[in-house]
Amino acid sequence: MIPRRILMTLVLASSACTGAIDEPEGTRPEVEDPGESDPTERLPPFEPAAPVLPRLTQAQYRAALVDLLGAPLPRAELPADTNPYLFFNIGAASTTLSERGAELYEDSAALVAQAVFRDAARRGALVGCDPASEACLEGFVARFGRHAFRRPLEPAEQARWVGVARTLAEGDPWRGLERAVAGMLQSPFFLYRVELGEPDPEDPTRRRYTGYEMASRLAFLFTNAPPDEALLDAAAAGELDDAAGVEAHARRLAEDPRAREAIQAFFAQYFDLGRLERVERDPARYPVWTDTMAASMRREVELLVDDIVFRRDADLRELFDTRQTFVNDELAALYGVDAPGASPIAYVPVELPADGPRAGVLTLGAFLAMNAHQTETSPTLRGKYVRERVLCQTVPAPPDDIDLNLEDPESAEARTLRERLEQHRRDPACASCHAFIDPPGMLFEQFDSVGRFRTEEPGGPVDASGELDGTPLAGAKDLALVLRDDPRVPACVVRQLFRHASGRLERTSEARALRALEEEFAAGGYRFRELMVALATSEAFRTARMPGEEGEE
Amino acid sequence: MSRASKPGRSYPWGPARPRIGRRTLLRGAVGGAAVGVALPALEAMLGPSGAYADGTDPGPIFGVFFWANGVPWHGGHGAQQAGHPDLWTPPSTGPGYTPSELLMPLARHPVSVLSGLEPKTAIPANPPGQGDGHMRGFMVGLTGDRIRPDGFDHPSHTLTALRPSVDQHVARHPGFYGDEPSRFRSLVLGVSEARFHDYGHWNAISYNGPDSLNLPMLRPSQLHDQLFDVPADLAQLGGRARVLDAVMEDAAALRARLGARDRGRLDEHLTHLSEIQRRLDRSAATCEAPARPVDSGDLDERLDQMAELLAVALRCDLTRVFSMMLTSPATTHVFSHLGVPDGMHKTCHDGHWERVRAITAYQMEAFARFLDVLAGTTDATGASLLDRACIYATSEYGEGWKHSTAEMPVLLAGRACGALNERVHARERGGNLAQAHVTALRAIGLETPSWGWNGAETTEPVAGLLA
Repeated sequence: MIPRRILMTLVLASSACTGAIDEPEGTRPEVEDPGESDPTERLPPFEPAAPVLPRLTQAQYRAALVDLLGAPLPRAELPADTNPYLFFNIGAASTTLSERGAELYEDSAALVAQAVFRDAARRGALVGCDPASEACLEGFVARFGRHAFRRPLEPAEQARWVGVARTLAEGDPWRGLERAVAGMLQSPFFLYRVELGEPDPEDPTRRRYTGYEMASRLAFLFTNAPPDEALLDAAAAGELDDAAGVEAHARRLAEDPRAREAIQAFFAQYFDLGRLERVERDPARYPVWTDTMAASMRREVELLVDDIVFRRDADLRELFDTRQTFVNDELAALYGVDAPGASPIAYVPVELPADGPRAGVLTLGAFLAMNAHQTETSPTLRGKYVRERVLCQTVPAPPDDIDLNLEDPESAEARTLRERLEQHRRDPACASCHAFIDPPGMLFEQFDSVGRFRTEEPGGPVDASGELDGTPLAGAKDLALVLRDDPRVPACVVRQLFRHASGRLERTSEARALRALEEEFAAGGYRFRELMVALATSEAFRTARMPGEEGEE
Repeated sequence: MSRASKPGRSYPWGPARPRIGRRTLLRGAVGGAAVGVALPALEAMLGPSGAYADGTDPGPIFGVFFWANGVPWHGGHGAQQAGHPDLWTPPSTGPGYTPSELLMPLARHPVSVLSGLEPKTAIPANPPGQGDGHMRGFMVGLTGDRIRPDGFDHPSHTLTALRPSVDQHVARHPGFYGDEPSRFRSLVLGVSEARFHDYGHWNAISYNGPDSLNLPMLRPSQLHDQLFDVPADLAQLGGRARVLDAVMEDAAALRARLGARDRGRLDEHLTHLSEIQRRLDRSAATCEAPARPVDSGDLDERLDQMAELLAVALRCDLTRVFSMMLTSPATTHVFSHLGVPDGMHKTCHDGHWERVRAITAYQMEAFARFLDVLAGTTDATGASLLDRACIYATSEYGEGWKHSTAEMPVLLAGRACGALNERVHARERGGNLAQAHVTALRAIGLETPSWGWNGAETTEPVAGLLA
């Protein structure tokens, strides 16, 4: 077998498909092909990147409200999350709030402040003293502000918000507090994660994130929520100023029950599971399909992730080749497995048969259904997913002004999709990229548009042979075994987590830090939470570039 | 929480003070008009130009209507597309054209057709893919400029606009609203929830600039709440408005610490806060609330619900600018009631011409129904909203099979207070799409000496449209 590194070079030379794209810093992936690129010593020296200013995502905003005011709270509509490069945190850091978005925040702030402050029992419990007294008012604003802004208020801020509570009280100190709270919930120090760093005493060429900023960074990474009291106290005590202190808190948070949900949120975005919500299938065409099937498929992936990352704290690479999964009754029917105890709501662990066609997350319903059309599969979508999501490769746009279409299935005289896709590879303009995308996608042809196993497709028997970078493979299960040991897969996980954690794309100057994380991931047995701890303590997560003349872009 | 709207509570029609008439402003004859006393429209008299006798005028309305995936392809879109009849372009040009099959539903309204236009923006070679019809046609059709090349990346389709879309250009133009903007400078609406990507820029047709998108409101109940769910206690709103002063002080303190890009983002946020403050301060200028709709799952019905609420908003001058996205670019909407089993995007690519014909006919009928509502809503002078409106309607490219941007479908609906000639078919094969923007903007009185960027520059409107 040809070593992968040589194969990769061949692919690079023969197509534009993984070539670097000339784009400004900060907007494009700059580290190509993890696991395949230069040896560490040839990577540029590490330099931290400029900070970003992400808005809170919907989940973070809601968690922050509960943290500040307690549940239950009225659930106002919020500005939508968007996911450029897959992650809400990147959307939150790159997009500008719309006017409608600002209006929704205004409405939400008024709504929750009223819910709390017009309820005598609730406001009493929250404030704990009579706001008519100066000390009470000052004390509450300081206490609330420390959690809302995720750091102690500056004296000017303290004066400002106490001032709001006084001047807008209209004779009712509770009304004044309600307004101050509604205002602080609209302050950019609440709505945005303001993490800009301070001079690094150990290195005058860069900044480090302050203790409070580290508290936020850890909290949002591990719990997708603002820092708890312990983290804020740790920041105040200077415990988060060095890697050891950060690691201690990272390990604590990795065991926090809230980390389960936060990690699920990461994987849902990484795997793009949101798309499942929009999978529509005609039950007349696919009798196994139900209104709840897409949700069941999502739940299955969540349970699998939870099992590997939490229950067993196991090697994350198992995701790609495991035959263990969790099914409810309709998934059991879809896969044709016995699952005693399964019901619409009860998921039971099952082992998929060793001689069956499935192994790994890419052979489960979620991936297969989401990367297919209503009436037929899409080797192109499936192959693109493998290339982009699993291997972190770049598939560029088709050349301008080429024919994007295959013959339509009705006029194609019952030829198989594989035969029609051959057109992609006959036409040189298409072949450069489709020879890269389609062959791994063809490996999934044994599964129809809802992920059901099949041996026949319209036009003839299924042929699920394909290849990955020159290695011929007989089907999706073969691919699973290859992916399990492909170093690009864990390197891709590292890169995706880094993007999610930092709210931006990685930069060339951070390649060494990413490489170090890949090595730590491997050294830790590919346990995902160990990777998170390694990331949290990495200098790429703890330091920032000095502000430049042209701003910090 | 008492935010129940008060059905039955009505306010004088229109804003608290008479707006300075747009034409008055343009003539530079502002005079003392701004200190006049409000007259409900019922008591106003129409002057000869459509303006009220007291010097105010109801002013033009500007709208954008967008539908996905162009029209059924034909030879005009390219050689490969030949072999199918052109069901879009009317056979004759000039006023009183004979509607084509697809335009037939619109024949009951003052709708002009601008045919043969195409984007003229240069296509940078790097990064590749910027010539793709979806993205290029979509951006040029809405902004007159190309996609932002920086950060353009096909795999994630992370396109964004370089500048405001034409609806936001109008909403923020000082010559449109003058000193007295409506309560909402614009309403950004949509109907179909189907989307090609979760990535937001594909689900919006309204932009303020790069990475600054206005996602449409997709549910009629949301629009109802935004327009009419005003707290009963108006003094409350004054308090909410004052709180924003302190928020802006916090923002000012932060601003100084930010780099250029994030400072720009925060500045835009601050601008929004000022708008919201203005809105809170003048909340009384609402009007009688219609019943809150129960959101329909049906595309037609939902569009009707939206149109009816929008018509109330326009009649009451809660806004004078809107955009309506029937379906999003590259929509995956499944028109199953038309017997189409796949999403529209795939249906186009699979070459199902007859299905695309049925879907386009359906979308044009939907547009006609939308116009029915505007035409059926009149003010005290007897003028309808459609009489006042200039609605620029388009799609993201000529056709969706090959993504051709030749023969972009462009319509101008409404009379723009008499500034638009009615029912004209103007044809310029290979003409600059940006001329459609010039035409629409001049129709609503915005001077627009030139429009279009990066190769699409033009100083000319489409001939024959402006009265």
